[in-house]
Amino acid sequence: MSNKPQPAITDISRPYWDALKQHQIKLQQCNACALWVFFPRSHCPHCLSDALQWREVSGQGKLLTYTVARIPTLPDFADEAPQKLAVVELAEGVHLNTTLIGLDEDEICIGMAVKPVFDARGETTLLRFTGIDKTLSVIEGQTDEAAAETGQMQAKRQIHFKDFASLKALISDEFSPWSNRYSVTQDIINQFAALSGDDYWIHTDPERAKKHSPFGGTIAHGMLIQVLLSRLTIPLGWELTGFGNMANYGSNKLRFPSPVPAGSQIHGRARIKAVDEVKAGTQLTLEMCVHVVGQERPALINELIVLYMP
Amino acid sequence: MGLQGQAAIVGVAQYQPEKYSTAPRMFHLEQVADLARQALADAGLAASDIDGLCVNGPHFHEASSFVPAMVGEYLGAQLNFGEVVDLGGASAVAMAWRAAAAIELGLCQAVLCVIPQRMAPMGPDEDPMAMARAMRYGGHSTAFGAPEAEFDLPYGHMAQNTGYAMIAQRYKARYGYDEAAMAKIVVDQRSNACANPKAMFYGKPLSIDDVLASRMVADPLHVLEIVMPVAGGAAFIVTNAALAARSRHRPAWIKGFGEHIISKSPTYAPEMLDTPIGPAAKRAFAMAGITPADIDVAQIYDCYTITVLLTLEDAGFAKKGEGMAFVREHDLTYKGDFPLNTHGGQLGFGQAGSAGGMSQLIEAVEQIRGTCGERQVAHCDKAFVSGTGGVMSEQTALILMGE
Repeated sequence: MSNKPQPAITDISRPYWDALKQHQIKLQQCNACALWVFFPRSHCPHCLSDALQWREVSGQGKLLTYTVARIPTLPDFADEAPQKLAVVELAEGVHLNTTLIGLDEDEICIGMAVKPVFDARGETTLLRFTGIDKTLSVIEGQTDEAAAETGQMQAKRQIHFKDFASLKALISDEFSPWSNRYSVTQDIINQFAALSGDDYWIHTDPERAKKHSPFGGTIAHGMLIQVLLSRLTIPLGWELTGFGNMANYGSNKLRFPSPVPAGSQIHGRARIKAVDEVKAGTQLTLEMCVHVVGQERPALINELIVLYMP
Repeated sequence: MGLQGQAAIVGVAQYQPEKYSTAPRMFHLEQVADLARQALADAGLAASDIDGLCVNGPHFHEASSFVPAMVGEYLGAQLNFGEVVDLGGASAVAMAWRAAAAIELGLCQAVLCVIPQRMAPMGPDEDPMAMARAMRYGGHSTAFGAPEAEFDLPYGHMAQNTGYAMIAQRYKARYGYDEAAMAKIVVDQRSNACANPKAMFYGKPLSIDDVLASRMVADPLHVLEIVMPVAGGAAFIVTNAALAARSRHRPAWIKGFGEHIISKSPTYAPEMLDTPIGPAAKRAFAMAGITPADIDVAQIYDCYTITVLLTLEDAGFAKKGEGMAFVREHDLTYKGDFPLNTHGGQLGFGQAGSAGGMSQLIEAVEQIRGTCGERQVAHCDKAFVSGTGGVMSEQTALILMGE
């Protein structure tokens, strides 16, 4: 589960959320003045009558406005980046806050007709919207993470480990493309806590972390993210040949600039900082960066030294 | 109906904006006393003259209720009027008119209006993460039953940036948009900040290209179109005519005001482009018996460029939909034909939380006094001040005059 804020359903709002679970949209209509009401209330905001009746509506409407958030509004929403936050006006005249889904940025225009999408991926079914001409109407279950970003296996260029001219040409400020994605689940964090003995509550106690952690929930150990580098296949586009043995010689620098909340997906990329001829062979210095998907600020920077020996 | 213009702002005090990380930590009570002392000295009045108080209730460090009594006790003041104002960035103007109304009703003679905005020292049992947690949702309530907690936060709608961005996007769709004109608001105000040694961005001029090249936060708002939060705090003193006659500076008379609250979220406003400053400013101008064309300086609340644009239009300085042309056609610096936010605005001066709006009010007072030095506008007699709270949730308008 992610740390995204979840709706706390009240006795007043329950019919709304129950209907969404059934892929229906119900709004309150005032028996006294016939006007429609959103968000759910005890009293009509037009005449203060308490005679409000739940009625099913189509959910069709138009886009009143939207923005594309280039910085996640909360780190937990990084998986949706860039977030397409929107206000929709339903045919009944009420406005609601939502997000647009299944639409490219250039397909979005204020005033466009939209229709509901029932997003059942979380504990509560959320109401999102898409273009009226789209087939999308329900999202169920977790999206297939493995399928998300793995198709990057190209033919790799082969470079001999003593070919310093070619190796030095790899030094660049440019990063490689992103690796596959990996989900840092609470379960993985717990396993790492058991293995390492670091079972501090901010990693292992979701209830306490929800109340007391500045991140609104548990976060992964920095060292766990370091270890998980092995789970990320970074498409470097080349591989070294001709060596007899290779060794991880350590790190020049290791930093954890931002947290990885439990439930987030991470991915990584790398660039070559230095290539040196040393007594034992060839030494490559790689800057490996792991990010929560969508986050600009890395969660891990590791300036890793790999030694290739004859 | 309304004020008779018999109350005046006679004393002001303001901490220079600083980064939170390096600003001194002081209890809020301590800041209130310190700012009151400075404002009284500025006015040439004695502590014993104070018999009214307007203070912020939310975010007051040492108490969440009974704040006026606690503050009065700390100051040793006997109060005939004690008020808490909870209107975010609209609070400074809201305090000014409440104080003026209390004075004109004869309830009191001198009202201290104050908002402390430096952080308090950390207590021994205080949770250092409490602040970070409180900031996580950027002012959105997470209380059980709060509509925004239930219907906004789960979708990622929170804090202010995206709300103002959505207002700007709707404006763009309806009236068109000239991002260079929006950037010019920032640039002209930055020129003003460069004539104000106390401003956070003093000595750092900007170009329109700088603004447009800055990072996009939420379309169409660039990071340089958004205020920088700073530590600070400010106070001003409103008095009756008898005390104003004794004050050291030219009084700034409170001639008109308006206040309008629409909804917490612009989503639920009938039309988010009809901002609350419309009815508020209309009332203020009518009360003062003047029109927008009579104004010498406009100190318009500027949490975002779009706030300035919509206020220019809805307060009556420009026609609806023509704000961008107005910005293009006028020089908004203190040297220009439409002096706007002559201290740099909060975009150039820094935004000290709810005290940020007080920077605009204090600048108007100082322009009327004629004490602004390099950035002084010649013959400044009539000033317009606006305040904005939340995401266009509430706005306040004030007319100050030298005579």
